[in-house]
Formats: sequence, structure tokens, C-alpha cells
Amino acid sequence: MSLAEPAAGALAEDAAPPARRRLWLRLLTDPGAALALLILLVVVLGAVFAPLLAPHDPYAASRAVMQPPVWADRGDWTHILGADGQGRDILSRALYGARLTLLIGVVSVALGGVVGSAIGLLSAFYSRIDPYIMRVVDMLLSFPAILLGLALVAALGPGATPVIIALAIATVPDCARIARSIGVGVMAQEFMEAGRAVGLSDWALFRRYLLRNCISSIMIFMSLRFGQVILLGSALSFLGLGARPPAAELGMMAAQGRDFLLFAPHIAVIPSAMIFVIVLAANVAGDALRDALDPRLRA
Amino acid sequence: MIAQLANRIALSIPVLLGVLALGFALLQLVPGDPAIVLAGPTATEEVVQAIRVEMGLDKSVPHQFVLYLGRLLEGDLGRSLISNKTVASELGAAIGPTAELMVACLAWSIPLGILLGTVAASLRGGVIDRLVMAFSVAGVSLPIFFICLLMIQYLGVEWRLFPFLGRGGPLWTAEGLDHIVLPALSLGLIFVGPVARMTRSSVLEVLKLDHVRTARAKGLSETAVLVRHGLRNALIPVVTLVGLQAGYLLGGAVVTESVFSWPGVGRLAVGAILSSDFPLAQGAILTLAMAFIVINLIVDAAYAALDPRVRGA
Repeated sequence: MSLAEPAAGALAEDAAPPARRRLWLRLLTDPGAALALLILLVVVLGAVFAPLLAPHDPYAASRAVMQPPVWADRGDWTHILGADGQGRDILSRALYGARLTLLIGVVSVALGGVVGSAIGLLSAFYSRIDPYIMRVVDMLLSFPAILLGLALVAALGPGATPVIIALAIATVPDCARIARSIGVGVMAQEFMEAGRAVGLSDWALFRRYLLRNCISSIMIFMSLRFGQVILLGSALSFLGLGARPPAAELGMMAAQGRDFLLFAPHIAVIPSAMIFVIVLAANVAGDALRDALDPRLRA
Repeated sequence: MIAQLANRIALSIPVLLGVLALGFALLQLVPGDPAIVLAGPTATEEVVQAIRVEMGLDKSVPHQFVLYLGRLLEGDLGRSLISNKTVASELGAAIGPTAELMVACLAWSIPLGILLGTVAASLRGGVIDRLVMAFSVAGVSLPIFFICLLMIQYLGVEWRLFPFLGRGGPLWTAEGLDHIVLPALSLGLIFVGPVARMTRSSVLEVLKLDHVRTARAKGLSETAVLVRHGLRNALIPVVTLVGLQAGYLLGGAVVTESVFSWPGVGRLAVGAILSSDFPLAQGAILTLAMAFIVINLIVDAAYAALDPRVRGA
């Protein structure tokens, strides 16, 4: 038994390291994907180190009301991206805003992804409960995220927390579906049977064979989901239903710039463009990752 | 096909009940007393109590839910806490504009998406194909409010081409058409990309099939092959996509209506939530959920009409 176990395990686990190296090579030699990854890296670093990088206090008003960015007339280097309607530095606010926007996206995708994958993989593992679980998932799936968001915000009041909860719940059924379909494929592999034959416990089979073989495909799916979640989260903040002032969030900053659209379009355009760049980079990187790792998932 | 639709409707009922229960349960968690809000800050305790009894707020929560369902069946959705008009009348006035906006948006974005996707597929790997694909990825990455703001900034303010506030009237009037252009353009723009992408991949898929080779072999022109044999079969996944993206469309409509002050259900929902007008919020969310279910039913019917295999099943 102790002899057979590593053999079964080897089938399941061996192929990983060279494949991973090839994947990175492929991603980094694809100019679009490499650029997207670079942009994401810069944005994430900027958001994480916002307190160190921000040239001004993001919440402090100044007399530079509606000052345009440095490349426009009347712009200067004190406010590189200009200042908003209350004279707050837009670069500093954008760094802090990206922090909150990314946090909302990452936390909700991670929460929804973990719960969804657990449900989906359990459903694949225990085929007896599969039809029931999937029926419930189908029902959840037919409930659009925006309605969930509106209902939760209506109940809990506007704020980042209800938005995160709504986005996480909306991610669960999608993720459960994908995790199940990936899991069912893995369950049919010979090494699962081999593992069972050598007398591994359900937990060991689930964790070491099923989970390990599914996790990368599930992560790709979650990365594809990330862009959509950020768009929805920032849209809710834009409507005044998400993050609350004085906290800076990119969608909310765009909404605050709405009133100054005629005189100072940069106040709304800069945060909106940042969301666009982040989501575009996430989508391009996610697509490239999917194509490189698992062409079968291609839409 | 009828069995299919019946199945779909049966599947929708628990969803709808879930929506109702969820919305209702969540509304119970809300801090603050609607009776006090309605009575105003200067009202005496007796007035508040009277309103509470009148609204059924003194009953137990399950009882209130049953009362709510009963009233719902009679078409009574309660009264707005802010305007004191019935929720049904507020919603009745808003449903038309929302439906108008969705139809206007789909009417241009789906044909354009199909056209772009087909052209991209027929010129696979060429410059146009790459442009269409890039446009489609960019389209799904654009925040909808950014599109709306750009439309207002350029087409509305700078070039003064179209009005950008409110609804001008029914669609058959010049005024009405003028007002719907910018909201419909903005909302449709997020839809062109996914449709083009789906059309491209499904046309490419179909073009590999045997009957297409046969059509080519018998000497049909490339355009005839593409349209008669490629596109027609490729439309089925596109229809499915519209159903799958119905939630996305609703979300976009909520934002678009709010930015353009379009008097639809989405704007009503956001306004009601921001002013803690729970009956109106609940009614608006319920209406949006119904719209979602109806769109999916229409999609299923269209699906059956396009695909004989489904019709037979």
C-alpha cells in the first residue's frame, strides 16, 4: 500500500513544475498579456503602497479647486493629475481609490470563489448529492448580481460591506458551476480510482487529488471574473450605493466629477479611465492565462 | 417547445418567491421605523402608532410577509414613503420607459454585433478581425458610467447633437426619438462587444462543418455560404448569450437611467434605496427581477424558434 500510493500520487502531481514554467514563458512572450500583467502589477503596487506614494493627503481640501492636470493649461506639478471640486489631489485620491476598488474586487472574488469552488467540488466528488446542489445553484444563477446588490444595499444601507457581500454571493453559483464541471473531468481520471484503490480517505482524495488538479483552472476562471466584479462594484459606488465618502473609491470619484463635467472633465475622466485600464488589463491577462493553460475553456 | 417553456416557468417560480422572501426579509433588518419616517419628525406617538397599525407593522414578521404576498396578488404594492403615491402607479409609469430603452439598445447593438462578428470570422486573422476583437475586449472593460459621461460630454454638450436629460415623450415623436439616442447608444455599446465575440466564435465553429463544405463544393459564392449556412446556424449561441447577459443588461440600464435621468425602473430603484423608501425599493427590485425572468422566457422561445432540435424535444 505504501508503495502504491506515491505511484498514484505521481500521476496526479508530477506534471506541474515544467508546465508552470512553460505557462509563464508563454504569457511573458505574448506582448499583450505581458503588458497587461505589468499594468496590473503597477496598479497593485501603487494601491498597496498608496500611503507612501501619495503626494498629498487624499482627504484634505485645498485652494486648487478644479485645477487641471499638469499637461493641460494652468496645470502644475503640485497636483500632477489635477485637483477635484474640493481641491483634493486627484493622484493621491486615485491611489487610495484604486486601493478600495481592488480590495472590493479581490475580497468578493476570493470569498465567492472559495465558497463556490467548495460547493462545486463537493458536488463533483459526491455524485449522489450532485443533482440537488446543482438545482439550487441553477436557481441562484438565475438571480442577477445587480439585483442582489440593490436588495442588500436597500437592507443594509449603502457601503462597501454590502457591496462585497452581494458580489461574493453573486460569484458563488458561477464558480460552483465551473468548479463542478472541472471537478467531474478530474473525477473520471484513473488516478482517482487508483487513490481510492490504495485506501485513501475521502478527505485525502478530495484535498490531494481533486482539489490540487482543479485549483489552477478554477483560479483562471476567477481571474476572468475579477474584471466584471470590479465593474459592478464601481458602478454601485458610482450610484452612491457602494463606498461612502470621505473614503476614496474610483467609481465614487467619477460620480463626484459628474457635476464638473463641463468645466473640469478630468475629475470624472481620470478615475473612470483608471477603472477601464484595470479591468482591461485583468480581462486581457485572464484571457491569455486561459488560452495558455486550458484552451478547452475558450468561449 | 411548450414543455420547455413550462419547465422554464416552473423553474422561475422558486426564483421569484426567493426574490420576494429575500427582499422582504432584508427589509425587516433595516434600522429605523418606516412609520416614524412617514409620520415625520413632529408627529405624536399616537399618530405613529396609528400609521404602524395601518401599515401592518405591528404584526409578526411571517404574518407581514403573508400579508405582503396577499396584497401583491391584488396588485397592491403599498405606498411610497416619500411621495405617498401607490408603488404600483409609480412602477406603472416607469416600466414603459425602461422597456423602451432596452428595446432601443438591443435594436442597434445586436445587429451591429452580429455584423462585426461575421465580418471578423470571414476575415479571420486579418486586420479587421483583430480590430473587432480588440474593440470587443475594450467594450466589456469599459465602465458603463464612463460611456454615459463621455456621450454627455461630447455628443451632448460639446457638439450639441442630442439632448441628454430625461425622456422627451413616446418613441414615435421626434422629441422622444431625440432623447433616447444617447441612453440607447451608451447602453448598447457594452453589448456590441460580447455579441460580436460570440458571433465570431460560433460562425468559425459552423464554418468547419460538413454542410458548409458541401455548399462551397456546389459552387455557392462565399457570401452566400457565410450568410445562408454560417450565420443562420451561428445565431443560436448568440440568442443564448442575450439571455445569459440579461442581468448585465439590467445592471447597465440601472446606471444608464440614473445618469441620463431616464424615468425608468432602475432610476426609481436607486432613488428609493438612497432615500430609504422601502416599499418603492422592494417594488422596483421585484419589477427588475420580473423583467429578468421575462427576458429569459423570450430568449427560450426565440431559441426554440431558431433551433428545430429544441422544438422537437
